Amino acid sequence: MENIYLPQQIKILDVRKLSSDVKLFRLKKFMRFIPGQFVLAGVWGYGEAPFGVASSPYKKSYIEIVVRNTGGLTTQALHNLKKGDQLTLRGPLGNGFPLEFFKDKDIVMATGGCGIPPIASLIEHIIKNRKKFGKVYLLYGAKTPTDILMKDKIKKWKDKIEVVLTIDKPAPGWKGCVGFVTELADDVDINPENTVATMCGPGPMMDALEKVLRPLGISDKRIFVSAERKMQCGVGKCQHCTTGDKYICKDGPIFNFDEIDKNWD
Amino acid sequence: MLVIEEKDIEKFLENLKKKYITIDVRKDVLPPKKYFFPPEETTFVFNKKTGKISTPQKPKPFILFGLNLRKTESLIQLDEIMNTPKPDYYYFQKRNVSTIISIIEEKGHIPHTGIDLILEKIGAKKYKAHSLTSKGSLISRNKFFKSDTTSKRASNKKSDTMPKLRKLLKDPEFLKDAVKWSWRNHKKIWEKLGKECLGCGICTYVCPICHCFSVEDACKLDGRTCTKTRKWTACTLPEFSKITGGHKFHQSIKERYYNWFYHKFVRAYEEFGRSQCVACGGCKKHCPASIDIENVLLEIIKNFKKSNK
Repeated sequence: MENIYLPQQIKILDVRKLSSDVKLFRLKKFMRFIPGQFVLAGVWGYGEAPFGVASSPYKKSYIEIVVRNTGGLTTQALHNLKKGDQLTLRGPLGNGFPLEFFKDKDIVMATGGCGIPPIASLIEHIIKNRKKFGKVYLLYGAKTPTDILMKDKIKKWKDKIEVVLTIDKPAPGWKGCVGFVTELADDVDINPENTVATMCGPGPMMDALEKVLRPLGISDKRIFVSAERKMQCGVGKCQHCTTGDKYICKDGPIFNFDEIDKNWD
Repeated sequence: MLVIEEKDIEKFLENLKKKYITIDVRKDVLPPKKYFFPPEETTFVFNKKTGKISTPQKPKPFILFGLNLRKTESLIQLDEIMNTPKPDYYYFQKRNVSTIISIIEEKGHIPHTGIDLILEKIGAKKYKAHSLTSKGSLISRNKFFKSDTTSKRASNKKSDTMPKLRKLLKDPEFLKDAVKWSWRNHKKIWEKLGKECLGCGICTYVCPICHCFSVEDACKLDGRTCTKTRKWTACTLPEFSKITGGHKFHQSIKERYYNWFYHKFVRAYEEFGRSQCVACGGCKKHCPASIDIENVLLEIIKNFKKSNK
């Protein structure tokens, strides 16, 4: 009988600091995945936690995950790991973005803070298949300019898709947008009838939804959210990650907003 | 058909104990799930030096003896849950080597699968043997079981625990609709329960179907090995939905207690087409706040019906 809880030991190829409390781990690739899928990464003795895969699904030799040190046991232990160390990994888990449905459509991706990883992977997929998609926007909000993650990648993405960066409060030297405000919608030139949107990240995302995505005329059925919950088993048994009748781990983490909006959490 | 006299049941048990590892569950406080999904079990041991991951050894075959009708039904249901969407390795490692002998004295349907041997009360002092598997046939082939053609099914069976809830469970779709409706439309009852419930989790531990768990990691003091331990948890406990950073999806007892009902009567229906309750009465019996889920559901349904008029 297969042991569905058995983790693999995976070697860390590289560790990079993305901000004061965020690190990117490049890991030896052992699986194929769809952007939006996640892995449970951990350290023996310190538990495991879910992370959306951040790298391109086309990279043959590695996958990348982004870990914010929340002060919790698992993320702290992960932050102590170095290049050459091993971590435990289970996955890929979950459904991933419905890439076929996204084809031949305009795409607006709204994300905030540490919500960028699964979106980053999606963007890599889009760029690799750029002609199959219409207008593509990334609206990325962070607390401060230094909290904007993956700046080097964003630079490259700018050649292929439209990128709008925004921060929560005005900061010295910041010339970009502040907050997810209604005006952002004015800069987004999409055909609302043939657009899908994605949302990922913390609280301010509701602002993105109310002030940008809905005013643009994108229906809740076409807004895809990457949902977050406490997770333990990762295979739909332990009941920690439920939302309504769904499990984030096996039915999600990607849901259309309409599916989970009015759910009992 | 084969029958066993009531006076021979204890002798039969003693005989089984001589030959096999046999556990009499009739006086257990915790439900039979504990033999397959124990309150605490080590799932992995990691040796830091060798990098080897080991799992617990396959247990020896054993017999569970004396499950009543409710416990029998709950075990059949838990088998289904633990097998979905993929088999739970640790549960079935034990379940696959177990033999289940039920003693059914209550009124109700006798299961046709999932159990090895059922002793059904058919008369004042007689039990009919239903062997549902080859293991069941094997253990009922002895001097305690005699061929009997005269016995008729007798109706002197024990009455049920929570008979009204038992009846309600026959329409799980209706129960789902009522419970779902109540959160927004009959807030009063959840406010009241939020004050009564102590949030101790006992109802979930004594429930024969509840199966929430957490996984805890630990390192041995000598630093050589690390373990993963699976432990029972309860959705009524405050940490259950807490994520790193501190946010809790269910802040109050009211929300957590409703979540327990939501799982049993709403999500369970959507997932499996039935309620995850067998009306055994365990939660009511052991609740330190004397919450009676039969009464809770009856009140919800009364108001749900009124609102639909």
